[in-house]
Amino acid sequence: MVNTAAKVKVDPRDAKLSMAHFFVAFGALALGGLMGLLQTLVRSGKFELPWGIGYYQILTAHGVLMGLVLTTFFIMGFQYAAVSRTAGTHSPAARRTGWIGFWLMTAGTLMSGTMILLNEASVLYTFYAPLKAHWIFYLGLTFVVVGSWVDGAAQIMTYAKWRKNNPGKPSPLLSFMAVINTVMWIVATLGVAATVLFQLLPWSLGLVDTVDVLISRTLFWYFGHPLVYFWLLPAYMCWYAIIPKIIGGKIFSDSLARLSFILFLLFSIPVGFHHQLTEPGIDPAWKFIQVILTFMVIIPSLMTAFSLFATFERYGRSKGATGLFGWFKVLPWNDARFTVPFIGMASFIPAGAGGIINASNQMDQVVHNTIWVTGHFHLTAATSVVLTFFGISYWLVPHLTGRKLTKAMNKLGIIQAWVWFIGMAFMSGAMHFQGLLGGPRRSAFSTYGDSKQALEWIPYQIAQAVGGTILFLGIILVLVIFINLAFFAPKGEEEFPVGEAENLQEKAPMVFENWKLWLGITAALILFAYTIPFIDIIQNAPPGSKGFKTW
Amino acid sequence: MAKAELKTKHQTEIEDSSSLKGTLASVFILGLFIIVSWVSVYYLFVDRF
Repeated sequence: MVNTAAKVKVDPRDAKLSMAHFFVAFGALALGGLMGLLQTLVRSGKFELPWGIGYYQILTAHGVLMGLVLTTFFIMGFQYAAVSRTAGTHSPAARRTGWIGFWLMTAGTLMSGTMILLNEASVLYTFYAPLKAHWIFYLGLTFVVVGSWVDGAAQIMTYAKWRKNNPGKPSPLLSFMAVINTVMWIVATLGVAATVLFQLLPWSLGLVDTVDVLISRTLFWYFGHPLVYFWLLPAYMCWYAIIPKIIGGKIFSDSLARLSFILFLLFSIPVGFHHQLTEPGIDPAWKFIQVILTFMVIIPSLMTAFSLFATFERYGRSKGATGLFGWFKVLPWNDARFTVPFIGMASFIPAGAGGIINASNQMDQVVHNTIWVTGHFHLTAATSVVLTFFGISYWLVPHLTGRKLTKAMNKLGIIQAWVWFIGMAFMSGAMHFQGLLGGPRRSAFSTYGDSKQALEWIPYQIAQAVGGTILFLGIILVLVIFINLAFFAPKGEEEFPVGEAENLQEKAPMVFENWKLWLGITAALILFAYTIPFIDIIQNAPPGSKGFKTW
Repeated sequence: MAKAELKTKHQTEIEDSSSLKGTLASVFILGLFIIVSWVSVYYLFVDRF
């Protein structure tokens, strides 16, 4: 009995490292959220920033804190705990590795954050050259990336130990998924590491005068698209492998879940050109090929949708639900651990549909660089992903701190998710419509000389400020819940739910764990998609650009 | 007559508990939503360019 309890609980030493990640993540949420609120207020035209603070400074802070810091810290903390729970407690060496990674990332965050606050790095989170930040900003981001590699290595070490101790057996599903995401992250961040180390750092240090903008952007988007899947896959881990247990059902198919993760590893990287469809200097034939590869990623997403519907329907029918959609009503709507991620899942339907529009060459002409795109990733990252992360933290934080999710906090969690959903419907909805009317993204308030078209955008910008304000209330609520669960909730045992497959006889094929094969195909696809266009970009490069400081 | 009725009812229940027709309907609705939104923006493109 004691043994069983020990197995289902994350070791307190591992719990401490996971919680350390969550403190930084939620700290970033607090500060980044405030910046987001200020942005929507500025863009409404009714508010000006005091003390000479620039719009692009808070935009950079919001993007870096939410898109890079909150996500990377939460994901690493969650995956570290998930591997500990399913593949066994981390060894002291793995735990030490994890701590080194955590401190490297934290140091990097402080370096970059300080430079943003000092107004030395208002280059937005995509840090597009030729905008030039202080070199400490780039060095800080390097620390965050290298730290995440070291942090991820801890998970890989524990996974490798499990494989060694259990030859011929498929690894635990959650550990497998965590390792896929970590491996994808390492392969993807090679691009951003290359542009920072070989281009942006030497250039910002004054060692070279100019930068090749197209190479820098291409390396950034080689990383930038898999970055969004790095955010999404931990949410999918929860949807595939944790939600079935929470609702009392079963995982529809363990093998299907693994296959979809492998497809994400293969197809989420060689697709960066779909962010550069309007960019001159890249051969359209290669843009076309990468758009096709982008569309391949729709397959695992639709597999996920099918699998989740099937899990819910099977569970509902086992509870006696009848009719075409009777199963929908019997789902546990009063359980925040389910309802909060469910709202995230539902949001992924319009989010995914928007993504297919963005990646289609012709439609990209309609929405490129408009605020539609901002609306899109506030549905994917800032609703689907983040609500799932909130839902995870409602059981994971008390599990790690030895506390209980109380009824009051459970209720507040559900209220928080609805507040978020309503705020986002206003903000992201208005962004989508304004984008279709041509409203630009990445821009402060302007009436553009009172042009008729720009004046049409203003009501949408006011709607975004209303939405942003509601969302900020949502951030206050989630911080209240987080602090309560971390420090004040009553002591007790909160379950770390891990789902079981419906058919236990169905053993996942061992080929899924053949890393040489999957990494080989990943590398082949990347080399295929990038080698020729990259040689072309270098050989036909325009003169390099000097740096600009526009703020 | 009564026997036959009983048999039919029994068969329906078995079919229903493992049925995934709601899933099928859901994925069709999802697919339809994707197609409708894609075609709408496609028409915006055709209209403008």
